[in-house]
Amino acid sequence: MISNFLIIAWRNLSKHRVFSFINIFGLAIGIAASLLIFQYARFELSYDRFEPKGDRVFRLEQDRFNNGKLSTQWAAGAAGIGKLVKDNLPEVESYAHLHGTNGLVVNYKDKEFRENNTVFFANDAFLPMFGYTAQKGMQAESLKDVNTAVMTASAARRYFGSEDPIGKVISMNKKKDFRVTAVVSDPPPNTHFHFDILLSFATFIQMNGPGAETAWGWDGFYTYLLLRPGTDPAAFEKKMADLVHSQWGPQMKDTKEGIAFHLQPLRDIHLYSNYMFESETNGNGRAVYFLLVIALFIIVIAWINYINLSTARSVDRAREVGVRKVLGSYRTQLVGQFVFESLLINALAVILGLLLVIGCLPVFNVITGKQISFSLLAEGWFWLVLTGLFLAGTFFSGFYPALVLSSFKPIAVLKGRLAGTGHGALLRQSLVVFQFAASVVLMVGTFAVYRQLRFMQTLDLGIRVDRTMVLKGPNVIDSTYMAKLSAFKEEMLHEPGIVSMTASTEVPGNKVKWNAGGIRLVGSDPTRVQQYRVLGVDYDFMKTYGFHFLKGRDFSKEFRSDSAAVIFNEAAVRQLGFGQPGEALNKRIEFWGKQYTIVGVVSNHHQESPQAAYDAHIFRLIPEVTDYYSIRFHGDENHSEAVMQAAKRQWAAFFPGNPFDYFYLDDHYAQQYKADEQFGKTFGVFAVLAIFISCMGLLGLASFVTIQRTKEIGIRKIIGAGTPGILLLLTRDFVKPVLLSFVLAVPVTWWLLHRWLENYASRIAVSPWMFVLPALLILVIAMGTIATQTLKAASANPSRSLRSE
Amino acid sequence: MIELKRISKWVMVGNKPNFILKDINLGIKEGEFVSIMGPSGSGKSSLLNIIGMLDDASEGEYFFLNQAVHGLKEKHRSQLYKQYIGFVFQAYHLIDELTVYENIETPLIYQNIKSSERQAMVADILDRFQIVGKKDLFPTQLSGGQQQLVGIARALIAKPKLLLADEPTGNLNSRQGEEIMDLFKELNKEGVTIIQVTHSEKNAGYGTRIINLLDGRVEL
Repeated sequence: MISNFLIIAWRNLSKHRVFSFINIFGLAIGIAASLLIFQYARFELSYDRFEPKGDRVFRLEQDRFNNGKLSTQWAAGAAGIGKLVKDNLPEVESYAHLHGTNGLVVNYKDKEFRENNTVFFANDAFLPMFGYTAQKGMQAESLKDVNTAVMTASAARRYFGSEDPIGKVISMNKKKDFRVTAVVSDPPPNTHFHFDILLSFATFIQMNGPGAETAWGWDGFYTYLLLRPGTDPAAFEKKMADLVHSQWGPQMKDTKEGIAFHLQPLRDIHLYSNYMFESETNGNGRAVYFLLVIALFIIVIAWINYINLSTARSVDRAREVGVRKVLGSYRTQLVGQFVFESLLINALAVILGLLLVIGCLPVFNVITGKQISFSLLAEGWFWLVLTGLFLAGTFFSGFYPALVLSSFKPIAVLKGRLAGTGHGALLRQSLVVFQFAASVVLMVGTFAVYRQLRFMQTLDLGIRVDRTMVLKGPNVIDSTYMAKLSAFKEEMLHEPGIVSMTASTEVPGNKVKWNAGGIRLVGSDPTRVQQYRVLGVDYDFMKTYGFHFLKGRDFSKEFRSDSAAVIFNEAAVRQLGFGQPGEALNKRIEFWGKQYTIVGVVSNHHQESPQAAYDAHIFRLIPEVTDYYSIRFHGDENHSEAVMQAAKRQWAAFFPGNPFDYFYLDDHYAQQYKADEQFGKTFGVFAVLAIFISCMGLLGLASFVTIQRTKEIGIRKIIGAGTPGILLLLTRDFVKPVLLSFVLAVPVTWWLLHRWLENYASRIAVSPWMFVLPALLILVIAMGTIATQTLKAASANPSRSLRSE
Repeated sequence: MIELKRISKWVMVGNKPNFILKDINLGIKEGEFVSIMGPSGSGKSSLLNIIGMLDDASEGEYFFLNQAVHGLKEKHRSQLYKQYIGFVFQAYHLIDELTVYENIETPLIYQNIKSSERQAMVADILDRFQIVGKKDLFPTQLSGGQQQLVGIARALIAKPKLLLADEPTGNLNSRQGEEIMDLFKELNKEGVTIIQVTHSEKNAGYGTRIINLLDGRVEL
């Protein structure tokens, strides 16, 4: 029986090549797309799931409140919370306590690297909590003692090559030495927390005082808790809130501040956490699930093609069904036969899909920015998904057509009485509507993502980020730093092409990490304080970046009093309680025990990507800052090799012992769009695939129906219909479902777009054009597809088509 | 072998029944060669379909080899005709995707006959019909007469007791038609009961008995 099935299935496939191609190729694309997306999603969902104690590890997220209003949310919160809960709540088995560093210059002998966000101070509970074990050295004592360090295997190789790292001394900014006591394996790629070097937290306390373990107003400390088995997170959060209230409440009351901590399950951090001070840019859970939905769309569209083409072709197969029934076949045997055909087609599609995955993997990696290797072929789940798709495909696409086909009554079909095309036509049209509705959603989505991206990229940022090179400031410095900086600047300004230079604590494109609370107007209610994001800048910052002054003036060396001057932006002025910029001018504020005068007000600028709302910024004059030097130059290009070479030369003369590290600001700023760009690209590629598969199905249907109607077309032509008339007649039936799909897709897309755009503070307006243009595009593609079939039929000679009857 | 009692068949047109067969009483014994004749629309094919169990009567009783067909479920009926009845069609109705050999073999597959046995049976009949050389050809590669020969071979492969033929020579030229009718006669001599629907007096003459139908009734 099976061999008979196989023979007839194979001969059918090879006889109807177009249908077979559409089915197999469409399914293969669907399978390949699904597999790739599954792999991507699986990777994103696998973050931190390997941790053996992962279900008991939580990070403390911190919310700060001002006058009862939420002001900031932190991935790295107050210094004192870890020790407080460990000492008071028995549910806490241990707590890991970390503090980041930025731009540290680390060296061992002549090996010297600038470590950007890769060096952390950590207490001794961190390594065991996350299951790191020492490859070399002593695990137990790691990070306990002052001035000790732990390195990852790859960092150790970088500094020590083949030497044994244990006991070697590395130095931070050539000021503080640490002895390496252990080497641990590298953090896996799918963890939210990566590091190269850990320094003992005891050293941090020694350097900064005991407040590093007790302060409630000092943020920037990652706190992870390992809770005892069976602890109820909700109840624990409540206990924690009570503890914080009783311990710190009275002090916070004075300034009407508030602080709340929440447990973030370790495994949720990567996909669902986006707060201040994240240790690295996290993923987006919504985007992952969105992609999974797209994968589902694509595979379903391919299945629909199979259902549609099979049932449309049922007229062709009807006679065979009739004969077989007369010859003694049971209906179940016929169902078996047709499901078997679907099995064969799906099997071929799986093979082709596998080849596509292998062929497209590098391209997919470029699009998504992930590194998925061919090793996925060796993983069990991959084959499981593949088998799942194969079986589901066989079942969903094969079963319905099989039921339809096997239901034919033999005498009806043998007498040619099956009118045919009407059979299941409604279902086919509904499925086509679904296919195109899905395509419209994806296409409109793609257009919208790109428009939003373009909108942000061309938006007036309120500052200039072009033609600017940024140097990472020196860390190895001494008491002569201020003089050196002035001289360096002087020399740089003499270099050809350089317009201005400024030193600052942050540059545009960075999240401002200096969050200062307790700020209020002099003479105002001391309990009404606010938090602001503060940038420390020198005299030339506002000028270099082209800030627009609304009121007042820039910092100036002519005013000796400017060491106590600040500049506010509009948002900050409003937060201070003034409606107009002018009202804030010359007002004095309390800032950490000192008084400062507002000498100027600038308009808001997009410090971060326009996805974020304008923030309340205070610019404080700190000429001796070390973090970043921004150098603005003339020219047509945003990048200048000459400027870079000049800066490098001068750098070597003024700041020896500091690695020369630079970037161009336009690149740096554009980095923020990377995630959106990748999302847009991924979305776009799969939208195109979905439309492509839908159109293949439409092509098949059009070709089939056109053949079916050959005789009708012939008769119509004989009684006087012209080619355009025939084209219209044939096209109308196909355009109707496509148009209907637009009607259905628009409300869904509208809703989805609004939801998505809510993530952006500066966003495009949803206009009808965003729907009309993609819809028109799809309509044109669909009509073009149909036209390839109908044109042939409409222009055919009627005498030929009728003769065969 | 066949007993039809008060068999009627109608379809509803609007609210009125439109009779295709009316009150047919008929008995056919084993070994007969019956020709059903009558003008277009007289109900010949409908009668044949009912006898062949491809269609239900609207009313009446049908006994086949003393079994009440009208009381059988679809599956049992299918088993019954699978075992005892072979069909030959005017339009041959071979399966285009199968070769001559495979077409003839198909009924055996549905009767769950073992592969080796099937081979022997198909080989026998190919030999008998002298179409061994054509066994690997597809139906479209054959002439009409050859296709009908394959059709008959397929109908006979499972050794049915009854052969039903609906205008078996309708699409053939006269020489091919004669060959087919000679073959029928020979088969009948070997004991196969044959019922054919035909327009042609000449073909009807090959048979042992003629039943004339007019407007759904048997003409006496």
